[in-house]
Amino acid sequence: MNQEIYLVGLNHKTAGVDIRERFALSDCDPAAAGLVSDGGAVSEAMILSTCNRVEFLVVGSRDADMRAKILRFWADHCAQPVADLHSHTYCHAGEEAVNHLFTVASSLDSMILGEPQILGQLKTAYRKAVEKGAARVIVNRLLHKAFSVAKRVRTETAIASSAVSISYAAVELARKIFTDLTNHRALLVGAGEMAELAATHLLSAGVRDITVVNRTLAKGEELARQFKGRAMPFEELHQALLETDIVISSTGSPTAIIRAKDMKEVLRKRRHRPIFFIDIAVPRDIDPDINGLDNVYLYDIDDLKEVVEENLAGRQQEAQKARGIVAEEVSAFMRWRDGLELQPTIVALLDQGEGIARRELRKSIKQLGPDPDPQTVAIMERLAKSLCHKIYHEPISYLKRRSQEEGSAQRFIHNARRMFNLDEEAVPEDAHLDRKIQSGGK
Amino acid sequence: MTASRLFELIIALLYLAGSISYPLGLALRRPALKRIAAWTSAAAFGLHTVDLGLRFMEVGAANLQHGQFYMSLMAWFFVLIFFMLWWKLKHDFLSMITAPLALILFSSSLAVRTQVLAVPEHFSVLWFSLHVGTIFVSLALIAMAFGAGLAYLHLERLIKTKAKLPGFSKELPSLETFDKANHWAVSIGFPLYSISVLAGFLWASFTWKKVISWDPKELITIVIWALFALLFHQRMVLGWRGRKPAKTAIILFILCLVSLVGVNFLLPSHHSFRQ
Repeated sequence: MNQEIYLVGLNHKTAGVDIRERFALSDCDPAAAGLVSDGGAVSEAMILSTCNRVEFLVVGSRDADMRAKILRFWADHCAQPVADLHSHTYCHAGEEAVNHLFTVASSLDSMILGEPQILGQLKTAYRKAVEKGAARVIVNRLLHKAFSVAKRVRTETAIASSAVSISYAAVELARKIFTDLTNHRALLVGAGEMAELAATHLLSAGVRDITVVNRTLAKGEELARQFKGRAMPFEELHQALLETDIVISSTGSPTAIIRAKDMKEVLRKRRHRPIFFIDIAVPRDIDPDINGLDNVYLYDIDDLKEVVEENLAGRQQEAQKARGIVAEEVSAFMRWRDGLELQPTIVALLDQGEGIARRELRKSIKQLGPDPDPQTVAIMERLAKSLCHKIYHEPISYLKRRSQEEGSAQRFIHNARRMFNLDEEAVPEDAHLDRKIQSGGK
Repeated sequence: MTASRLFELIIALLYLAGSISYPLGLALRRPALKRIAAWTSAAAFGLHTVDLGLRFMEVGAANLQHGQFYMSLMAWFFVLIFFMLWWKLKHDFLSMITAPLALILFSSSLAVRTQVLAVPEHFSVLWFSLHVGTIFVSLALIAMAFGAGLAYLHLERLIKTKAKLPGFSKELPSLETFDKANHWAVSIGFPLYSISVLAGFLWASFTWKKVISWDPKELITIVIWALFALLFHQRMVLGWRGRKPAKTAIILFILCLVSLVGVNFLLPSHHSFRQ
């Protein structure tokens, strides 16, 4: 087989943002731009372009200098000198390329380890390739596998289970205190970028609504409009504390605005419903002593930072486990790919046929009674064997004929393997994504 | 006898497998282990049902005079009630306490080989089911509140001390969930417990012509009831939440265990399962 899988690209580790900007390929159609063509060296291609990486996944002829070819195409398309690319790009082939793709899909190569955006970006890139007809047997299979590897990594390791940003850590903590955020309201005391970010996170996590309390009511009202919430004057802070369960505080006040002794009264009026304070102001807005009260939880900015750092360290550990999963799946994929050769497929077909024949034969012999006539048994054995060989003869010779033709061999072998279910695999949910897109587009 | 003994041993082993594999599955993040835990517990429960049925067919109502049968029946009831609670609350943590509790109760039923119990005269099925049925349900609820209370205190300490939440705790539900379990246990459990105690005293007054006979079981029951009443009042009227009800539920359950094991097996009492 003269086809090989190549992965050429650059990422945030190999290239600075200036290079990444110049060589971004956010809207490039490899088929239309002439990279993939029927007679050419490249038979399949997919381009992934995000702010942290640009990568070409290409299936093409082994003989061509694929790296040079892709770099030239890339530089021409961006109207940049190709020399600028050389020192920043990597080129993987075969197993290494598969490994790289799976690693990227599992977000083990992301700037923040385990952040899941890359999977969505990869899905978009794949969809584009399918729509343009640039993804065929190998890229289809490769991407389906990449998605399932990513899923395995997410479910079997804790790599993405902890928050690595301060505002998200706050949301996660809120989830440890309250079962269902939709039953709880949030209160924003004071404004500020980080407070607003945390409020946005809380809203998207499902918090019922947001109340804003600010020294200047007008500013509070403006902020409240932004979150479709309501504003209350600063004097009514204690009233607001009765009605809300998650409080984000970030005022510029030099002294504490919520004190432990006031809180006791508030708690009684709240009938001890739990309340969670997130104090991101420096100097702090909330008396640290209130953390000692029952049903009151307080995290300040340093506590949250610590949570984030611990989570990041935890991700590093989980990444080890994830790499093991990736390695496993890479070798499974390579086994499948080797199976695309003609000879192993013929052997597998005949094995399957003979297996069926043997099983059916055994059942039939049993029906002959406890002491079957050896001659009858011999005749039946011959019958089963020759039936199997005759039935498989036509598909096999058809495959042999087709594999003489360059280009279509893999497709036919792949189809035969699937038709006879030689790889004995369950059909994944998104197996027909490519077809759905095509029929949906019509 | 040996065959039924073997059967019971298998049930105990299945409960044991369930009790071990669930926390293991949580700790190792293996959903498969959790499923195994659910299936082994379900299998244990099925066999347990068969075992109780066989026993009942064998000896009939006379079973009610065996302490061993009570323990086994109670274990069975616990699993049943926990299953219904799980159905209603959909909280995984229930699985964590169900199998171990069933295991403890069931194996203690295996450990005791008691003589025939002196059931009071005027023995009536109605009184009996009122007295024993309600106590089973409320004990199961207290056990649930105990488990939820332990989990609450653990998680609360982690959050309050800002300790790192290890993988195991990540899978835990929220504090509010545990508190809700306590709420359920208290609001349903206390009335049932009261009915049970009342039924017991009434029954006693019919049978022995006196309401209280200063039996150790009766004394500890009054203590438990008083504590339970306090918890019920504070929770329902004053809106207690979180730590205090969690701690009270833990003490309550320990007292119940003392009453169940200590009094029924160790002290002279007319609730005794001893010889």
